[in-house]
Amino acid sequence: MAQPYLKKDDDHDDEADYSPFLGIEKGAVLQEARVFNDPQLDPRRCSQVITKLLYLLNQGETFTKVEATEVFFAVTKLFQSRDLGLRRMVYVIIKELSPSADEVIIVTSSLMKDMTSKTDMYRANAIRVLCRITDGTLLTQIERYLKQAIVDKNPVVASAALVSGIHLLQTNPEIVKRWSNEVQEAVQSRAALVQFHALALLHQIRQNDRLAVNKLVSSLTRGSVRSPLAQCLLIRYTSQVIRESASNTQTGDRPFYDFLEGCLRHKAEMVIFEAARAITELNGVTNRELTPAITVLQLFLSSTKPVLRFAAVRTLNKVAMTHPIAVTNCNIDMESLISDQNRSIATLAITTLLKTGNESSVDRLMKQITTFMSDIADEFKIVVIEAIRSLCLKFPLKHRSLMNFLSNILREEGGFEYKKAIVDSIVILIRDIPEAKESGLLHLCEFIEDCEFTYLSTQILHFLGIEGPKTSDPSKYIRYIYNRVHLENATVRAGAVSTLAKFGAMVDSLKPRIFVLLRRCLFDTDDEVRDRATLYLNTLGTDGAVVETGEDVKEFLFGSLDIPLVNLERSLKNYEPSEESFDINSVPKEVKIQPLAEKKAPGKKPTGLGGPPPGPPSTIDAYEKLLSSIPEFTNFGKLFKSSAPVELTEAETEYAVSVVKHIFDGHVVFQYNCTNTIPEQLLENVTVIVDASEAEEFAEVASKPLRSLPYDSPGQTFVAFEKPEGVPAVGKFSNMLRFIVKEVDPSTGEAEDDGVEDEYQLEELEVVAADYMLKVGVSNFRNAWESMGPDCERVDEYGLGPRENLAEAVNAVINLLGMQPCEGTEVVPSNSRSHTCLLSGVYIGNVKVLVRLQFGIDGPKDVAMKLAVRSEDEAVSDVIHEIVASG
Amino acid sequence: MLLTILISNFAGHILLERFNGVPSEERLHWRTVLVKLGADNLKGARNEELFVSSQKSVHIVFTMLGGVCIYIVGKDEYDELALTEVMFVITSSIKDACGKSPSERLFLDKYGKICLCLDEIGILENTEKDRIRRLIGLKPPNPTEI
Repeated sequence: MAQPYLKKDDDHDDEADYSPFLGIEKGAVLQEARVFNDPQLDPRRCSQVITKLLYLLNQGETFTKVEATEVFFAVTKLFQSRDLGLRRMVYVIIKELSPSADEVIIVTSSLMKDMTSKTDMYRANAIRVLCRITDGTLLTQIERYLKQAIVDKNPVVASAALVSGIHLLQTNPEIVKRWSNEVQEAVQSRAALVQFHALALLHQIRQNDRLAVNKLVSSLTRGSVRSPLAQCLLIRYTSQVIRESASNTQTGDRPFYDFLEGCLRHKAEMVIFEAARAITELNGVTNRELTPAITVLQLFLSSTKPVLRFAAVRTLNKVAMTHPIAVTNCNIDMESLISDQNRSIATLAITTLLKTGNESSVDRLMKQITTFMSDIADEFKIVVIEAIRSLCLKFPLKHRSLMNFLSNILREEGGFEYKKAIVDSIVILIRDIPEAKESGLLHLCEFIEDCEFTYLSTQILHFLGIEGPKTSDPSKYIRYIYNRVHLENATVRAGAVSTLAKFGAMVDSLKPRIFVLLRRCLFDTDDEVRDRATLYLNTLGTDGAVVETGEDVKEFLFGSLDIPLVNLERSLKNYEPSEESFDINSVPKEVKIQPLAEKKAPGKKPTGLGGPPPGPPSTIDAYEKLLSSIPEFTNFGKLFKSSAPVELTEAETEYAVSVVKHIFDGHVVFQYNCTNTIPEQLLENVTVIVDASEAEEFAEVASKPLRSLPYDSPGQTFVAFEKPEGVPAVGKFSNMLRFIVKEVDPSTGEAEDDGVEDEYQLEELEVVAADYMLKVGVSNFRNAWESMGPDCERVDEYGLGPRENLAEAVNAVINLLGMQPCEGTEVVPSNSRSHTCLLSGVYIGNVKVLVRLQFGIDGPKDVAMKLAVRSEDEAVSDVIHEIVASG
Repeated sequence: MLLTILISNFAGHILLERFNGVPSEERLHWRTVLVKLGADNLKGARNEELFVSSQKSVHIVFTMLGGVCIYIVGKDEYDELALTEVMFVITSSIKDACGKSPSERLFLDKYGKICLCLDEIGILENTEKDRIRRLIGLKPPNPTEI
């Protein structure tokens, strides 16, 4: 008897440590739930058990189907109790248990009874629960009650019905849309919350009807909206209307601007902020329109509430991107935020200041940031670094102080991402600001003297190798580089050897001394370092005299590897040691890996018969292997390109067929991937009969049938065509699948002996100009364009006719040419009137091609395009123009 | 959308969570993110001091109330200010249900009541603590509040 007393005492002593749910167990709680079935219900005890169930559910505990059903049944018994507290718990646990459809029926009648009860609170809660657990059919039965509830004079009931409507709109939109008259009435309600909920629902119902939204906004902006929440919604809908009617604003004032401006004087901060932000986000907002909004945001900057400060500084940060001048008035308030306790606010303040600051304030700002940097996390530091980088590009004259700042923080403690951001910034500054080069390189040199990140060390060494030899005094970098050979791990040492070699190649006067250093590396403990040293000593010429280095050596050292490393790795893995040495030209240059669309056969393998290689090849390289294993195709030469699979059948037909186009110099092979989706059939001798009458330049030379195609095991059949060598011949091919079909007994899986010949019409297939183009990107388009030179340049202009928008025209041309868009230029900003798109690729015959497309659109949506092509062969440049002209 | 309401203790143990339209495979991510945010920021914070953060397109407002940490995540129309309103409703209702800023123990003692409060708050269905108190007892709100 003393125990409970003691326990209670304990509780009191260390309240914080003891949880009322300590040692709670699902099994025990389910046992306890049997009290729900007692003839004499104890409401208090039942409520406690429900609380425990809720706790379990919130801890991620799941109930099995049987358990859930059992609890649910028991809970429905609780409707007999008249205890209010318990009833409220019952409502919430029903929602949490989210019963399945067959269980819902059990509780429906109880809830329907509550829904028509005289007690308002029963009605409101029953509506919420029913709407949460119901499905469409039940909903139509209770729709009448819900419509009444929306206009119920009790605001709790009305709100319950309206919010349920918002939920139901996701699942049963057509039913909810029928309530718009009632909802419209509820918008005029005197209860603030009802108005808020009604407005939200009404807008969701009508959001696709621009005219209706427009009308809604016009009527409400004139009247008075009671709740600040509803007012916020109204501001959002208003700015949506303004955005959509933006096209007719040239003449005069923006519609509804006065309303937004009026909201800036509302008494609720929420509304003021909403209006200010809406104004700053207006399309083409003028300075005059911005001023009042910026003024209220400026007041928020010195608010005692962190949330207001954050909201204001975040909005101003965005404005600073487009209207830096407008934000400069807030600079003083913003500067005081640098020391804000909340680091998100401080970082936003700093980055805003960096955007709005003028050249004269840079130094002062950098001083403030220096103290700030030491006490923020790395992720914020990275944001600041990026802002400083763009500031430096904006004010190149300030490079000295900014570069100093970067080098100082580079010396301090920090994680990899942070250091990488700094190094990247310095590298970009060196590239773009010639005056910053020498000091920047020295900062990097000092950094690698004490750098713990191998990746960064090797990156910097590589960069030094390219930029260092071009400086006025290359010799001063040698010490830093050679120190690496003594002090670092093998990866960095190897990098240092390569960098030394580059100095030797570019600076003839340094060559003898570089040779001495490289020779010392021949005794390194690591193979790679020794190998590199030997290689470079040989390529540079072993005597080490002061002579000019040959162009081919420079190309070898500095030229870029224009092969994707993934492809090189795969080819090397596939290479089998033999007499023939590995040929780097055999590595495919296509970057994209094309997964095949077919399903994989689940466990069932083709039953022998020496059929085609099982399983589809998943990469270009695998395609090459597959094709070279077929004797008919071995003399076609090197595979230039394989297209992505094109579906020749609709989804879910009896036979699924897709085709891959393999392009060779003088041949084209169609690989038909076939799948038989009928379990009762076995197909044999499967071929595709191709009619090439609309492809005059192609002549069929070989066809390789598929001997057997059992259910759900994909197989391939091939048809090869000859075409004029090196010519981008195009044409249309119609296809017919021909096969012998045999019935299969599903119980035994045995096929009958006799089969019937049958045919199946497939869709047409086209060989287009893009098939002769490989998508190969370049990392720096401008460099590539300039190094290609204007010798083989062809420029012409084209009219593309009326188009929906520029993006559509740009995509059409990219698809027509099948080239790789560079530097993200395939993305066209919305509403832009002109756009430049850069493409690169390799044309059949291994000719590099670069294309610069300039688009313009005029009033009636006519698109004009200027096409400039540079390639290594002027004939190819002409071909590109022909493709565009005929496309 | 009000995406998440999550309440944990100081040790990062989750006491109560509500997800709206967050797929179950993303929930673990949010639990980790939020608990980490709390661990990084809430140490030594004042009671009910508001913290704010944004991650990608969502906004997060969080605070400490007695012995528990409360996090709410919203996106689109639920920006930091709207979330502050929600947070105010939540903290005031919890205090109301517990009689003061709750210790973890007191919070768990009143667990059922707090579940009901969150149910009434829903996706901002009710915003007044007195109204919520009456509603969870199935009593109609005072006529003056309507």
